[in-house]
Amino acid sequence: MKRLLGVALGILTAIGGFVDIGDLVTNAVVGSRFGLSLIWVVAVGVVGICVFANMSGRVAAASGRATFEVIRERLGPRAGLANLSASFLINLMTVTAEIGGIALALQLASSVNYLLWIPLAAVAVWLVIWRVKFSIMENVTGLLGLTLIVFAVALFLLKPDWGNLASQAIPAVPAEETGATYWYFAIALFGAAMTPYEVFFFSSGAVEEGWKIKDLIQSRINVLVGFPLGGLLSVAIAGCAAVVLLPAGISVTSLSQVILPVAEGAGKLGLAVVLLGIVAATFGAALETTLSSGYTLAQFFGWSWGKFRAPAQAARFHLAMIICLLVGLGVLATGVDPVLVTEYSVVFSAVALPLTYLPILIVANDPQYMGRHVNGRGVNVVAMIYLVVILVASLAAIPLMIVTGAGA
Amino acid sequence: MKTPRPLGPGPLAPVPPVAGQTLDAQLHLLDRQVLDSDGVPVTTVDDLELGAPEGEPETPMGTVIPPGTPAPVLTALLTGPVLGTRIFGGRPPSSRLIRVPWTDVADVGVVVRLGVSGQGLDADWVERWIRDKIIARIPGGRRDPR
Repeated sequence: MKRLLGVALGILTAIGGFVDIGDLVTNAVVGSRFGLSLIWVVAVGVVGICVFANMSGRVAAASGRATFEVIRERLGPRAGLANLSASFLINLMTVTAEIGGIALALQLASSVNYLLWIPLAAVAVWLVIWRVKFSIMENVTGLLGLTLIVFAVALFLLKPDWGNLASQAIPAVPAEETGATYWYFAIALFGAAMTPYEVFFFSSGAVEEGWKIKDLIQSRINVLVGFPLGGLLSVAIAGCAAVVLLPAGISVTSLSQVILPVAEGAGKLGLAVVLLGIVAATFGAALETTLSSGYTLAQFFGWSWGKFRAPAQAARFHLAMIICLLVGLGVLATGVDPVLVTEYSVVFSAVALPLTYLPILIVANDPQYMGRHVNGRGVNVVAMIYLVVILVASLAAIPLMIVTGAGA
Repeated sequence: MKTPRPLGPGPLAPVPPVAGQTLDAQLHLLDRQVLDSDGVPVTTVDDLELGAPEGEPETPMGTVIPPGTPAPVLTALLTGPVLGTRIFGGRPPSSRLIRVPWTDVADVGVVVRLGVSGQGLDADWVERWIRDKIIARIPGGRRDPR
């Protein structure tokens, strides 16, 4: 019974933790411009993150090694450092976007300018990292994030023409968009679903919670059930935008436009719930990305790390996270639009994906680390297909960004 | 273990047979995580130091190694600024190297385990400094989260 509860809790937090500011903004932007014609990318991304998270969780459980220790061991210091620089900077960009997201959601709830909320949000994130137990942190933000289901509820309450909506789901470039922008947003959506920080966080979390091989079944269920259901939430966000914003010709440039369909479909109560959900989802993701920035640095340089230790037992790890939060604060204090930071961060996430994916794939096949838990043939076939997909998306992202003027 | 390239010409003598487990420096030692006797991460193996076996004279840098010189042995794991020189080239002076003596190493597996606590090691001084000067002074810094 306890085990069953554990599985249920794991699935629920995986669903609630799936959506972050990147998913919110990108899905709404895509829905408002392309309808549901890019929704297949969410499916591709969800399967990809399932494969990737599963592998890195298995590596962590079988060898006790988290992602970035493995990356340095396999790539050596030079390529490892290049990899660390890229992954770390993109992660820092995501930290900035998430904290901005918390502040924007609080602005919508309170009408107090978001710039005033930013220091408060950053201090709150730091306090949770400093004091709160890992499992409590994960479960509370994950469960509160579940309130984003209101997007799905609102979609039903909007009473769309389901036949028309379904016919939109066929991949096709809409008449008013070009092929280049279509593929640019396909990559953005892919990057939003497969953000690399989720993998740093997932594998380091496995070490934090002391997973052993026998816990792998539970983690596999969490991932394989929770992430696809989380993906459905993403689809609901895009669906809401496609039903309300696309016909009205509104293109999403702010968070208020992301939640506009919920207000229209589910009224004031829905609005209250969705704001709670966005604060919880971005807060949870801010915690995960901030921790990830500490994890990547500590694992590369071999410092002591982990929330299971008292901060004094992992001093450099905690200092690094404090500095990252301060840098994020500084960037946001310039008045840069957090939604814009988000839009860039998901594309750069796609650019950086192969850097983390390939080393994990190699180590997951190395019997020295994995013993008899190396990748099976089926997993390797899927993993190789995704290696190609990830490489193509990564290489095409920057040229498409230039050609389309970042999707303008 | 890698043998250093001789400075003079001439073919290498064949590697003498060794008993026990053979370690490849690149594969099994470099860039591995180092844990102390309590399982706490200390550092990563940033570089290795080779020296003459005990009782043998050191061959000075830049001289031709005469034939018959006994093979060098691993004397220490290196960490600290040496990582920078390993990435960007160059060689820090020997006095600046932060060493973990090879005699402290207890086991080499997926990680390198030490037989001593990290608390007294030179390799851990930055961690201790940041802990004592910054992190432990913030309220709650020493509180165990579990």
